[in-house]
Amino acid sequence: MSQHLNQAVTELATAEVERRVEEAGADYEVTLESLNQWQLAWRKFRRHRLALIGLGILAGLLLVAIVGPVIAPFEFNRVPKPDVIAPNGRPPSIQHLFGETGGLQRDVLQLVVNGARTSLTIGFSSMLIGVVIGTFVGSLAGYLGGFVDNVLMRIVDVMLSLPILFVILVASRFFGNGNVILIIIIFGVFSWMGISRLVRSLFLSIREREFVEAARAVGVSDRRIIFRHILPNAISPIVVAASLLVAANIIAEAFVSFLGFGVNPIYPTWGNILSNALTFISRGNWWWPLFPGLAIILTVLAVNFIGDGLRDALDPRSRA
Amino acid sequence: MTKYIIRRVLQALPVLLGITIVVYGILLAAPGGPTARFANNPRVTAEDREAFKKAWGLDQPIPVQYCRWLGACNPEVDGVVLGVIPTPAAFIGPNGWPHFLPQGLSGATNGVLHGDFGVSIDTGEKVSTRIVRAALPTLILAGLAFLLWIAMAILIGVNAAIRRYSVFDQAATVFAYVGYAMPTFWLGIMLIFLFSGPGLNILPSSGITTTRLSPPFGSDAYWLYFGKQPVAALVDIGRHLILPVFTLIVVNIAGDSRFVRASMIEALGQDYVRTAKAKGLPGRVVTFKHALRNALLPVVTNIGLEIPFLFTGAIVTETIFAWPGIGRLTIDATRGFDYPTLMGVLLITALLTVLANLLADIAYAVVDPRIRY
Repeated sequence: MSQHLNQAVTELATAEVERRVEEAGADYEVTLESLNQWQLAWRKFRRHRLALIGLGILAGLLLVAIVGPVIAPFEFNRVPKPDVIAPNGRPPSIQHLFGETGGLQRDVLQLVVNGARTSLTIGFSSMLIGVVIGTFVGSLAGYLGGFVDNVLMRIVDVMLSLPILFVILVASRFFGNGNVILIIIIFGVFSWMGISRLVRSLFLSIREREFVEAARAVGVSDRRIIFRHILPNAISPIVVAASLLVAANIIAEAFVSFLGFGVNPIYPTWGNILSNALTFISRGNWWWPLFPGLAIILTVLAVNFIGDGLRDALDPRSRA
Repeated sequence: MTKYIIRRVLQALPVLLGITIVVYGILLAAPGGPTARFANNPRVTAEDREAFKKAWGLDQPIPVQYCRWLGACNPEVDGVVLGVIPTPAAFIGPNGWPHFLPQGLSGATNGVLHGDFGVSIDTGEKVSTRIVRAALPTLILAGLAFLLWIAMAILIGVNAAIRRYSVFDQAATVFAYVGYAMPTFWLGIMLIFLFSGPGLNILPSSGITTTRLSPPFGSDAYWLYFGKQPVAALVDIGRHLILPVFTLIVVNIAGDSRFVRASMIEALGQDYVRTAKAKGLPGRVVTFKHALRNALLPVVTNIGLEIPFLFTGAIVTETIFAWPGIGRLTIDATRGFDYPTLMGVLLITALLTVLANLLADIAYAVVDPRIRY
């Protein structure tokens, strides 16, 4: 008898728990519904540990790039006094954590900090230019289709068949003159092709959806359909591709500056610091190239982690 | 299949034409132009510059210059229509056939279509001679790098996929992330510090041969020496190859090992793999015969698309290690504003890129019978 009672009580309790769980679950659903797309994305992004670390590193680097050169204790463009010159530079010490360079006797830490400013500026600004051009070309091709699409995509084919780093190299030498702004424009102008292909394919699929058809039926203009109806739905993959473009452009800038065709050495970038280091390569001062290189690796790693996190967070198929 | 290949080749032709226009356009738009090198030379007068322009055909309208450089116009025939377009007569070759046809038919010898890239402004040699001379060292370097790169990427990727989440897999993941973020040239510099710096001087850091042991690489004297002591010569080249090859392939291995791993994991999850296991086939056969062969399908395309990176990687690697190849030729030509050489190098590299893409597509169609063409 008591056994039966026990069983009945247990059953009741289980039912109650299940009901409450269901209620709670429903509650949870309701709060989820009230989050917008970006809040949802952030919620998922937060769970991606590496992406959070990457975000932290990048934030730190940006902070260093912005305030670093201002608070640095050494005068940047000083002429070294003859009595302190060590022709091969000096290895890392307490006063100079990353060591001193040969030649102008600069503090490597300060060089890297100043370089962060230029390198990050170039990476992000040229990405912006590339994304704007790429999105524009891609949406035109994808939305209009037909002849325009054909012409634009053949241009993209040609640009992608060129060894683009060669072209950037030559363009920087012939047009750049070491000018940061011109270098940024050159990098932007030669890095939009991937984005435009991506945007085009997104537009091709989204423009067939019902809400676009509905918008067209009520007489919305083409421009408004492109910018208000289709583009917001294509934004996630563009953001992911853009983050990876930053990394690619930072490495490319270092490559071009390293070969001596990029930014004028009076504005240190991680690439031209390495270029100067190479001329002292036989002296064995490893600290000179080591730290700018580590800075590049750290930045690219951080950006790639963020890209991975964004991909997971913004992909509507992955529900977190 | 033949039809598919012919169609892909025909599709590549307009792309190639577009490339010649872009290459020509970039260099043409450069401020100063080919006479910029004389700008600060007091011994070159304005008349000299004009004479130089006339001698090199630089006084002609741009479309005429382009047409002659391409080899579709006869340089002997002057005259333009509508101010810029070459006269129709210029398109006819010496033998009466259209000028762009091969030399045997048209009798034309000028322009890239007839294998004439012009004369280097820097050295006065034919550009084609310079490119051919630089091609061998680059082929040695890039060829060896390519083979090692594919072998290592597949080896690491497959092992990581089979032993997923093992220590090896995790180490491979870390290597992939860091290697992918590493600039090629930085790796090269650090390797030189490590292995041929003042501390541990065990590997040569520059050149393709040891200069005090043998005549300059590529000269007739060198090949005589090579014939007499092939083993010593090969060992010497091999020692010089170690650091550049390693520098060149790390980034590619890092990226592709991840790609192989992902592809292999997907293949291992397929139904036919489970079926093969259920039939009682040994694990080795299932892994290598059923899964690996299918996993490598997308890898083929991917590697084809990455071949151009060997060239760009070679520019930096050859600069750091003073390797006398195409990369160094490019850098020298860029430094010296040597237009004809630069256009030749850019064009050949672009041609190889298009060819690599084409081969990748065809290879994919060959290995994957499901492809419709």
